[in-house]
Amino acid sequence: MSLRLVAFAMLALLTPMASAQRLEGRDRPFMAAGLAEDTVEVKVNYSGSRIVLFATAPQPENETSGMAVALIGPMAPQKMIRRTAAGDQTIEFVAAPLVFAVGAEPQVAASVPLEVMVDAGLNAQASAMPRANQLMSPDLNDWRAAFVNLKMEQGLYSFSDTTIERLDGGLRRAKIHLPINAPPGEYRIRAVSFRNGAPVGESEQVLTLVRSGLDATLFDLSRQHGLIYGFVAVLLGVGVGGIAAWLGRK
Amino acid sequence: MLIHLPIAQIAVDPLILIAIGGLVGFLSGLFGVGGGFLLTPLLIFYGVPAAVAVSTQANQVLATSIAGVSAHWRERQVDTRLGTLMLMGGLAGSTVGVGVFSLLKYFGVVDATIAVLYIVFLGVIGGLMAWESVGALGGQGGDPGRRTRLRVWMRTLPMKRRFPRSGLYISIIPPICIGFFVGVLAAVLGVGGGFILAPAMVYLLGVPTRVMVGTSLFQIIFLTAYVTFLQATFNGTVDLVLAAVLMLGGVIGARYGAMAGRKLKAAQLRLLLALLVLGIAGRLVYELYVAPVPEYRLEAAS
Repeated sequence: MSLRLVAFAMLALLTPMASAQRLEGRDRPFMAAGLAEDTVEVKVNYSGSRIVLFATAPQPENETSGMAVALIGPMAPQKMIRRTAAGDQTIEFVAAPLVFAVGAEPQVAASVPLEVMVDAGLNAQASAMPRANQLMSPDLNDWRAAFVNLKMEQGLYSFSDTTIERLDGGLRRAKIHLPINAPPGEYRIRAVSFRNGAPVGESEQVLTLVRSGLDATLFDLSRQHGLIYGFVAVLLGVGVGGIAAWLGRK
Repeated sequence: MLIHLPIAQIAVDPLILIAIGGLVGFLSGLFGVGGGFLLTPLLIFYGVPAAVAVSTQANQVLATSIAGVSAHWRERQVDTRLGTLMLMGGLAGSTVGVGVFSLLKYFGVVDATIAVLYIVFLGVIGGLMAWESVGALGGQGGDPGRRTRLRVWMRTLPMKRRFPRSGLYISIIPPICIGFFVGVLAAVLGVGGGFILAPAMVYLLGVPTRVMVGTSLFQIIFLTAYVTFLQATFNGTVDLVLAAVLMLGGVIGARYGAMAGRKLKAAQLRLLLALLVLGIAGRLVYELYVAPVPEYRLEAAS
């Protein structure tokens, strides 16, 4: 019971913040939602994380009511190459999420059409945006499907690790798996509530993944002071080898 | 327990990495090869990104080579004079090799050339070594004969110097040329070249097998230090946490490898190295001509 009280309290506190983060231009009603934590630190002992989101249903519910959530980000340009008999073909996605994890309650998966999921920003394939001159490519769907498959092989896209539980009073708790190889950056957590196959409320939260401790020190050193990092790398090799040689003589 | 690698951005089991490092270190101490040709595919197989695996293996090989060479050094089985000459040739060859690589890349034949070169060299060297060492095992099991036709021809070359550790009195031209040739191949193939250098020292120069191991490691120290520095400084792809864990296993393995090498006959050592080289050639043939090639691949766009 105390957990639910805390969750409701968090929602009350986060509501104005979440409201400010709502996408402009959308006419869907706001859905109250909040993250248990909005920052995840990546340290040397980091082995993945589970993001917890609480959300409430915005309308009275029926048997088709349900919620879907997605973790999306950070956006980056990505290039795909296809090997063909005539040579390599290339497509460049000017913006595609490096990580995409989505999950939905069973009734949503059964009642919401694909185009509605695309429009709600919950479809992984549609999230990869090609260059303007490749938007009408007849192969675009093949490219996007292959892109999603490759990302799944890398463990960065997942469609089965997100769970949504119903608590009392229309409150839902979603647990989204953040993969171990998720790159640092800003992530969006989208939650959309559906009823009769149509969206009736949505919310968007921001989650930040930051490096910290030794992990951050080494990464920053390698990127900002390459020369020092090079010397440190050689010294490490010489030092460990030297100590081992010295111990071997003992 | 898992640890997160800051550059590779993956979480790994340190015990598995220590085991991988230990295995490669053992082979390094046993045969006098760096082991990069084995370590890189093992790391990629474990999930480390290829760019990080290629760069970090050089750092690990640096540590294991130092640990491995110390054992040979105490037994006076490192020919520093010969090693330095080959290193000079190797650095010059690497510089030329980078140019050759650029040319191959310009003409769009780099992948095909590398694949063919790899298979030809590994297959020929491994096959010849296996043939010779099996024959030698039937006899004393020592080093190959010193008076081969090729070596008689090399004795006519000028600028002769004594190499007391190897018991040789030969021209400095062949060691420099061998180092140069290996340097070119190393740059084109992206490997340290120990698996080519080691048999070349034994069969072409007549270096005793045990001195070859120490001298090869001696040269690898400088080469890998150079590569580590360049990769860490300009590409930032050396993962120090990954390297440190690999080194831990590597230096232990290298010590035991050197100890195991002393218990084997020289011909046995060469036969094992030949089998290793042939095994890698077989794997390459499989990857190139048998294994299915993925239709799509993903690259980070600029």
